[in-house]
Order: sequence, then structure tokens, then C-alpha cells
Amino acid sequence: MKDSTSVDIPETSADARGEAPLFTGKSSSGGGIIYAHKPSSAQKKGLAIFDLILRISAIVTCLAAATAMGTAEQTLPFTTQFFKFDAGYDDMPSFLVFVICFGIASCYFLLSLPFSIVSIIRPQASGPRILLVIFDTMVLGLTMASAAAATSIVYLAHNGNSSTNWLGVCQQFTDFCQATSGAVVGSFIAVAIIALMLILSGASLRKH
Amino acid sequence: MKSGPVEYAVEAAEHDSSSSSSPRRGLSILDFVIRVAAFVGTLASGIAMGTTDQRLPFFTRFIQFKAEYDDLPALTFFVAANGVVSAYLLILGMPLSVLHIIRTGVTKSRVLLIIFDTVMLALLAAAASAAASIVYLAHKGNPKTNWLAICQQFRFFCRRISGSLIGSFGAMVLLAALIILSAIAVSRRPRG
Repeated sequence: MKDSTSVDIPETSADARGEAPLFTGKSSSGGGIIYAHKPSSAQKKGLAIFDLILRISAIVTCLAAATAMGTAEQTLPFTTQFFKFDAGYDDMPSFLVFVICFGIASCYFLLSLPFSIVSIIRPQASGPRILLVIFDTMVLGLTMASAAAATSIVYLAHNGNSSTNWLGVCQQFTDFCQATSGAVVGSFIAVAIIALMLILSGASLRKH
Repeated sequence: MKSGPVEYAVEAAEHDSSSSSSPRRGLSILDFVIRVAAFVGTLASGIAMGTTDQRLPFFTRFIQFKAEYDDLPALTFFVAANGVVSAYLLILGMPLSVLHIIRTGVTKSRVLLIIFDTVMLALLAAAASAAASIVYLAHKGNPKTNWLAICQQFRFFCRRISGSLIGSFGAMVLLAALIILSAIAVSRRPRG
């Protein structure tokens, strides 16, 4: 049918021009032009499976960062009965916040696994995905904030600051410094995983 | 039929914008308003932190007691990151947002905005919280590492750097809301 009656559904207006077969969402150009390409169920399922894999790796990475920071402590050998020279994660509020926030993040990712599995089983449903996007955004902000706060303290511990007369303590507390630095590095990997997860969720929500 | 897909794309865009549903246009307008607010917040924070400069009235022959934002690397990073986010919002975010008000059917540029907003949220969260931990140290110090609080001497500097965090944290919340709005707008069916 070549005559152009005005119809409401974009797919059938394309049919009137003979561009695409009836009742499929795929474009005739096979994805060359962006507007005419709709993500298929198979593509959304693939993205959802990758999202699940990313989520499991985020659980592991967040937990690793939290435990690496939580087990960082050192007592210097010249500790006496009256003067204790020790350092633990709870001596700095930033490190305490770091451990708490990454513990929360890894628990959240564990609890979000069922939603991810649901979005694999039903690729076209956007409800679970939007819920995950909302919470992932909050967790991204939370983890990035706590990672950065811990980083600034680790930087100060290494270098100190001459203007404010803060001395770097890494010369004395070498093991503590190493453990906290390693935890901070792992936390940035976790944040990169979370950001990738969020972007993929946003991209796979497209309906047209 | 090389022009076929292009024709269809133009038709689809025109068709969508002519029959754009009002919930989607409302979402786009809300998106633009929030973006303007976030731009104002980050710009104000960057300027407030960048214009800190306090010199104490006493000095010795060798040392002058001064505090500026570039004495502390975390505060320098804060100024730079706020500058980057406000420039992004001005140059890319707000024009694309206006485009979404006019043509509500496009999704590729919305996904692009989601990607950039995520990156900017992470950057702003990092900068704001690094600066916040330095501001906390400036207020309270740390007895274990023998870092003394400097707020007693540098009062004006301390007030400035504490206040400039507010705009940044507010913009962080607004960016998170923008990501969620864009995700909801992308997931709606073409007819609303």
C-alpha cells in the first residue's frame, strides 16, 4: 500500500513507504542509522547478563576494599605503658566512613542480585531496571565520595602539608600506610565497575 | 534506497516531535531547570573556594602565615572539578536539554547525557568529599597524627571553605536526580 493515510504508529508509517516489514521492531538498515534501530530482546538480555557479572564483581571488590581498610592497623615497637603509638582505621573519621560505606555498598549489591536476574529473565521489563538505576546512582555517589575522602587523608599521610604544618606520618607507620593505600586503589576499581554498570543500565533502557 | 533509512529517521523525529506527549515534555523541562540549578551551584562553589585568601597580621622575617586554596591539593582539585562540571553543564548539558524539550523523541542524546552525567557525578562526588575531609581536619585536627586544627587562626578562610562545600553537595544531589530523570525518560514508550 503506497497511499499515505496518517497513522499513529511509526512502524506502520514506515510500512506505508515500504521501508520495513510489518510488526517487527527491527529496522531495515540493520542498525546503521541510530533512530531506526531498536534494541532487541537478545541485546537487552546480553546487557543484563553482563550487568549481573559486573554486579558480582562489584560485591567482591567493595568487600575487598572494606576489609583491606578495616584490617589496617599497626602498633609501633616503641610503645610504652603510658604512650601508645598505634594507628587503626577508626582513628581517622574518613577511614571509618570508608569502611562503613563500602560495607553498605557490597550488601546493597548482594541484595540487588535478584532484580538483576529478573531483568535477564524478562528483558523488556523496565521496572526493575529503573529501580536499579535509582539505587545504583546513590551508591555511586556514596562510594566515590568515601573513596575520595580516604584518598585525601592517605595523600596527607604520605606527603603532609607545609602550609598547615601537618607532617606526613608514613615514615613511622609504614605498614598502616601501605594497607590503606592499597584499600584506596581497590576502591577506585570498584567505583569504575559501578559507573560502568550504571551506564549500561541506562543504555539498555532504550525502547526505541 | 540509500536515502531510505535517513528519510525514515527524519520522519520519525518529526512525527515524534509533532505528537510529543506532555509528560515527556514536562520531564524535559524539569530536567532543564535542575540542570540550571546544578550549574549555578557548581559555579558558586568554585568561585567561593577559588577566591579564598587570608593573610594573618603577624609574620616573622622568614615565614608569612597565609592560607589559600592552592596550599591544599584537595581544595585545588575541588576548584578544578567544579569548573569542569559547570563548563560541561553550560556547554553540553543545557543545550542538549533544550534540544530534548523541542524534540522529545530522541534517545541517543539522552543516553549520551546519562553517560556524561554519571562521569560528572563521580567527579563532583570525589572533589566535594575530598575537600570535606580537609575541611573537617581544619576544624578538628587529628590527635593521633599530631595534625592541629587551623581554624582558630584562619577564621575567615575556614568559614569560606566550609560554606563553599554546600553548593557542591547540592549540585551532586541534583546530578543524581538528573540521571534518574533521563533514565525514566529514555524508558518510556514512544507514544508516551
